[in-house]
Amino acid sequence: MSILIYAILSLTVMALIFGAILGYAAKRFKVEGNPIVDQINELLPQTQCGQCGHPGCKPYAEAIANQTDPINRCPPGGEATIKALADLLDVEVLPLDAEAGVDSIRKIAYIREDECIGCTKCIQACPVDAILGAAKLMHTVIVDECTGCDLCVEPCPVDCIDMLPIEVTKQSWHWHKPDNLIATDRQPNLTVTGEDAA
Amino acid sequence: MIQLYDFPGGIHPPENKELSNPGQLVTLPLPEELIIPLGQHIGAPSEAVVKKGDQVSKGQLIAKAIGSRSADLHAPTSGLIADVSDQQVAHASGLKETCITLHADGKDTWHANITPADPEQLSDDEVRQRIYAAGIIGMGGAGFPSNAKLATDKPIHTLLLNGVECEPYISADDTIMQVDSDGIVKGTRLLMRLLGQVKCIIAIEDNKPKAIATMQAATADDAAIEVVVIPTKYPSGGEKQLIQNLTGKQVPKGGIPADLGILCVNVATVNAIHDAVYLGRPSIDRITTVTGKGVNKPGNYRVLVGTKIDFILDQCEMDASANKVVLGGPMMGFQLPSIQVPLVKTSNCLLVPGVDEFPAADAAMSCIRCGQCEVVCPAQLLPQELYWLAKSDAFDKIEQYNLMDCIECGACAYVCPSQIPLVQHYRYAKGVIRHKAQEAKQAEHAKLRFEAREQRLIDEKNAKEERRKARAAAAAAAQAAKRASQADGDDPIAAAKARVAAKQQAAKAQATDSHPEPAAKPNHKELKTAAAIARTKLKKAQKAFADAAATDHPDTDKLQTTVNELTQRSAAAAEALAKFESQLGVDPEAIKAAQVEWAKANAKVRKLTKLAPEDDATEAVHKEYQQTLDAAQKDLQQAESHLQSLKNPTEESS
Repeated sequence: MSILIYAILSLTVMALIFGAILGYAAKRFKVEGNPIVDQINELLPQTQCGQCGHPGCKPYAEAIANQTDPINRCPPGGEATIKALADLLDVEVLPLDAEAGVDSIRKIAYIREDECIGCTKCIQACPVDAILGAAKLMHTVIVDECTGCDLCVEPCPVDCIDMLPIEVTKQSWHWHKPDNLIATDRQPNLTVTGEDAA
Repeated sequence: MIQLYDFPGGIHPPENKELSNPGQLVTLPLPEELIIPLGQHIGAPSEAVVKKGDQVSKGQLIAKAIGSRSADLHAPTSGLIADVSDQQVAHASGLKETCITLHADGKDTWHANITPADPEQLSDDEVRQRIYAAGIIGMGGAGFPSNAKLATDKPIHTLLLNGVECEPYISADDTIMQVDSDGIVKGTRLLMRLLGQVKCIIAIEDNKPKAIATMQAATADDAAIEVVVIPTKYPSGGEKQLIQNLTGKQVPKGGIPADLGILCVNVATVNAIHDAVYLGRPSIDRITTVTGKGVNKPGNYRVLVGTKIDFILDQCEMDASANKVVLGGPMMGFQLPSIQVPLVKTSNCLLVPGVDEFPAADAAMSCIRCGQCEVVCPAQLLPQELYWLAKSDAFDKIEQYNLMDCIECGACAYVCPSQIPLVQHYRYAKGVIRHKAQEAKQAEHAKLRFEAREQRLIDEKNAKEERRKARAAAAAAAQAAKRASQADGDDPIAAAKARVAAKQQAAKAQATDSHPEPAAKPNHKELKTAAAIARTKLKKAQKAFADAAATDHPDTDKLQTTVNELTQRSAAAAEALAKFESQLGVDPEAIKAAQVEWAKANAKVRKLTKLAPEDDATEAVHKEYQQTLDAAQKDLQQAESHLQSLKNPTEESS
């Protein structure tokens, strides 16, 4: 009988000790916020365009983490982002939701400065403070900061904002993917000269 | 004699170096037009400091470096700046870049600032300054600004001069070592002086016996400089391969030779440094090999930077049948999209293959996993794996396979029996990875800006809320003061009622007392109204007339007469009013001022009424509020009576 009591006692004491340790650890190493939201947010393109129906990338990341929104509502990220999100969350890759918009090449906003009336409406709309100007003075876009989210186009009362594709420069250019040739599909003049030397 | 190690992999392609007569240097005639691109080095393009129409002399600064990894550009000859505009440059993409177009005047006169100097008399800083001012960049092909390379803060114990020139066909460095060994050795000694206690190794491949002999003779009396002959093997001239060959050590991943205490410089660059320090001459020309069976006069040519490639090929009598021009060597060069582009500081070779020299590559066949690519890879990568991964766009994984360590030497593609364009796959994957890294950086930046903005908006909202609360508290205090005064038995409602009653009484009394004005005599108010009506009518008529005139309405003439009539009437009414007013002694300016006073007082009273303190405020607050309110009301009454007196002087006086 006494063995039984000792066993129960010792187990209770151990349970209390480990409970205390776990309780302390839970307090001491508490993780603020939801780490999965940050991981999702890292994968989103941060254009803050709101095409997903949320006011910015972080709220959309939260919606994905809470499983209230599917992963295919980010047109600026396109297929690559959907794939990355699917990998992270271990869900199936979905085609881009056409409702949110179409995957298009990245663009940058430019203000036609002669036509700007200085209404500041685009400045208020810009999610990344990339537009410079003051009331009744001409505005301009800080091109390096613009994410191409489109949000400034709608509020402009005189339609003086153009979304132009980013120009490819010598610095940003890179080689295209080589054509996937097979021997029966002959094409002359492959441009890599390494082969040419052969 | 130092011990040689060797490096893994490598190939032995046909050298074909004799084709371009190494050792014989020909200077090309001065071209009429030179086009100098602003982005010849790695890093940010320089900024033009000349404009269209400027006259420049040879060696004059025409573009200034932007940032630390940039280099100055100088006029290669004297002449007129014809344009600063976007033009196609020698790049695989065929894209345009800002270039300075210079029309040579044929005189080739040096700028007055170009003066020789004795380096013995110069301090180290002055030597560095002369190198920087000459705009020298790595002439082996990388285009890394030399002053940035020399500015390393890592301890250097070995200066490595790269005269290997392992790529087939090219003999530009071979030539410069043969013709200007003196310049190279002097330049080397300058660099050794700047770097402190260092030894120097000049590495040359054993297929250049003449260059080896010349350099050995030039350095025979200097124990600190050693000429090391290395066996011919491609790509032994690659910086990392050369270092491994000479020291047995590998440059760490993502690192630079300076991490091993080695500074690696091309021999042509050292020669340019000599010219800059001893002669004061900026980097405006270079030695370029023009070779291949497609040119009738292959050789090594001293050409000015900015010379158009079609001009050079004309001088070298390019064969009409030649169908492509490669910039660089056969292994690492690329086919030029156009030959109407300028030669730059890094262009060491123009290769014009004959028709049957480089037959068009056969179409790629499937990989048979023979593993030959792996055997020849000098970077010890797995070219086959990299190929599969690049082909399937698995960019994350390909980075784990160290794609970024690939030097794009082309050895794998050279030996591939299936003729797969392996290097092109790697170049593509590298490009995409760099692009993605750039985008990730931008996304991170955008995220920070977005979060900063959100925080700012929240802060602004909070500040607004706080201000509102402060106002509410003040209002509550005022209300309390009011309550307090009420408690004293001073009922404002009763007081106001009494005031109104008194006012009505007074008005009645005034109405009965005052003499009614004779009806025949025009009243001030009536006159004013008449004048205003006349003005409005005139305006309407004028508008109608303008509209009619614009549309060529038939009634235009009729309207004209109406307008004239109304103009007269309006003038008459205004005159009558002015006359009456002057009789009465009304001063319109004073009335206006009085009106403003009244409006101010009125606004103050209304504001105070709104700010009435809360019921629960203290007595003192109520009392204070009541006093302020009373004072304001008094002010308002005064302003009102003053205004009335000004407006109707007759009524007041009567």
